[in-house]
Amino acid sequence: MILRRQNSLTARLTLLFAVVSSGVLLILGLVIAELVERHFEDMDVELLEGKLQLVQHAVLSARAEGNFDGLPEQLQAALVGHHGLAVGVWGADGKQLFLSDGADFPKNNLPPRLGGLLPKTWRGLGEQHYRGISGQAPTGVDGEPPAVVLLSTSLTHHDHFMQSFRLAMWALVAIAALLTGFLGWLAARRGLAPLRNITHRASDITANSLDQRIEAGEIPIELAEVVNTLNDMLGRLKESFDRLSDFSSDIAHELRTPVSNLLTQTQVMLSRERSIDDYQDVLASNAEELERLSRTIADMLFLAKADNQLLVPTQEAVDLKVEISSLLEFYEPLIEEKKLQLAFHGHTEVRGDRLMLRRAVGNLLSNGIRHTPEHGLIKIVLESGEDQVCVRIENSGETIPSEHLPRLFDRFYRVDPSRHRSGEGSGLGLAITKSIAMAHRGAVSVKSADGRTTFSLCLPIGSY
Amino acid sequence: MRILVVEDEPKTGDYLKQGLAEAGFMVDLARDGLDGLHLALTEAYDLAVLDVMLPGIEGWQVLQGIRKAGKEMPVLFLTARDSVDDRVKGLELGADDYLVKPFAFSELLARVRTLLRRGSKTREADVLRAADLELDLMRRRVTRDGKKIDLTSKEFSLLELLLRRQGEVLPRSLIASQVWDMNFDSDTNVIEVAIRRLRAKVDDSFELKLIHTVRGMGYVLEAAE
Repeated sequence: MILRRQNSLTARLTLLFAVVSSGVLLILGLVIAELVERHFEDMDVELLEGKLQLVQHAVLSARAEGNFDGLPEQLQAALVGHHGLAVGVWGADGKQLFLSDGADFPKNNLPPRLGGLLPKTWRGLGEQHYRGISGQAPTGVDGEPPAVVLLSTSLTHHDHFMQSFRLAMWALVAIAALLTGFLGWLAARRGLAPLRNITHRASDITANSLDQRIEAGEIPIELAEVVNTLNDMLGRLKESFDRLSDFSSDIAHELRTPVSNLLTQTQVMLSRERSIDDYQDVLASNAEELERLSRTIADMLFLAKADNQLLVPTQEAVDLKVEISSLLEFYEPLIEEKKLQLAFHGHTEVRGDRLMLRRAVGNLLSNGIRHTPEHGLIKIVLESGEDQVCVRIENSGETIPSEHLPRLFDRFYRVDPSRHRSGEGSGLGLAITKSIAMAHRGAVSVKSADGRTTFSLCLPIGSY
Repeated sequence: MRILVVEDEPKTGDYLKQGLAEAGFMVDLARDGLDGLHLALTEAYDLAVLDVMLPGIEGWQVLQGIRKAGKEMPVLFLTARDSVDDRVKGLELGADDYLVKPFAFSELLARVRTLLRRGSKTREADVLRAADLELDLMRRRVTRDGKKIDLTSKEFSLLELLLRRQGEVLPRSLIASQVWDMNFDSDTNVIEVAIRRLRAKVDDSFELKLIHTVRGMGYVLEAAE
């Protein structure tokens, strides 16, 4: 039968302790019992053999004195004080020469033939237990066959002893099993206490206390790895959670500001009559604001889709050089207006979704153009390595402090919060680039030093 | 030109009807799928604008009904869900174009005009004109008042688009997609800059301005003030 219950480690350990210790005790007890029994047997046989010698001696001397007439007397005298000992002597012709009181030999062996053997042990009439031996007693007369001697001793005492010994042993085993089970339970509980501790700590951690950690100091080394893994997981959760809540509050902020602008502006306009021009002006400005809002919403939906693994890029050969060239053509007015210097090297192909990749690189480019000062430099390099290709877009401009770098690809993240909404960016462009890269099993990175900032988009070659 | 609009959302339906009517179309508005299908099958329309989610029968079924009856008019459908499956399904069922809500009205208007133009196979002119501006497609030459204007190839394409669709307000997204084949919303003002640069060459030294900004909607090339 297979138990489908959930396993308890404590119960399992307790059971294991109990089974092992009672097993060991049981084997020990059985061995001891066997040894004791053998010892008893040896003692019995020794006793019986001694008595046989005595009987042989008596037979010899009684025959010498006459025709066995003195035998019962002699034997009775010899057997006085030997409780439970019975002797029978028969002549070779089957005539009973002596039988002690209370003798209880198996009836089918009587009268014993010469050489006929007794069973080692038997049960007599009163269900008494006996052990016996048979032997010969030479009469000392030449030509006369020896008498047959049967000796038995009652095993009742031994049996009693063995019975109580076994009882004691079973009781001992049972008690020992219970005791070791209990001790095992205690030990298991004590041993598993750190685990309960961890459980307790872990169950205290909620979304609001993700910065709590399980202390590894008092934890046994076997569990240290589990604890470290848990702590790492908490760290990652906290990070994701923070980003998510940042994102939610950013969304609220990003949407609230323009909506409240729109509302205020509209209500102010409606508060009294105005000229057609004024109305047109406000409607146009509302339309612009709404357009921006709707673009932000579309971008957020795109990111939400990416988060839910709903972005499934098509697979086609994309010539990155061609794509970047058309992007540069698109952004040419901006590049010329800022009088930027442009350098573009390399060519490479990659498999992926052409439209998505164009958007990803386009966002990097527009970001680069936006942050390059007039007369600055933009350098685009296409690199193909063994297993990946990279687009690197380097622009001159202010060095971005390193603490901002890891978060640049976060949604709505801005290096300088005061520049909020000043540019035309929704603050989602780089996040979208990252999502597209990840949907292609690629990665984005950024470094910034000595007035140069380089964004890289790397994609694995071949299928993703 | 008669257009059928099937849209259950009251506000959207009303402004679609008003907007299209003001753009010079005759518009019938149906508020649910059954009415829409009935109208589509009994009246003659040049184009239908269908919402996908409709009470009664869905936009898909209306579209199927229209195609089953052998009506070949272009159908543009509106969907709130930007799902690839939706688009593919619509296009497979015989829709000609789609727009994802929310959309700019100018975008819808531009698409409607494109679809209607596709139907009428007018011979494209070799030379496009507006007032004293001439664009020669064969020789790729632009002159104004007889004087040659040097344009880059993209500026030429941009001017060509504006001239072909003079009088129509073209939204930025449409310009980006038609001239540069950029089908994503750029978060830059690149179209604005491109128009400004084109205007500097085409309009700045002339009294009569041709390229106009329609705030909140896009750009239009018009000879009349």
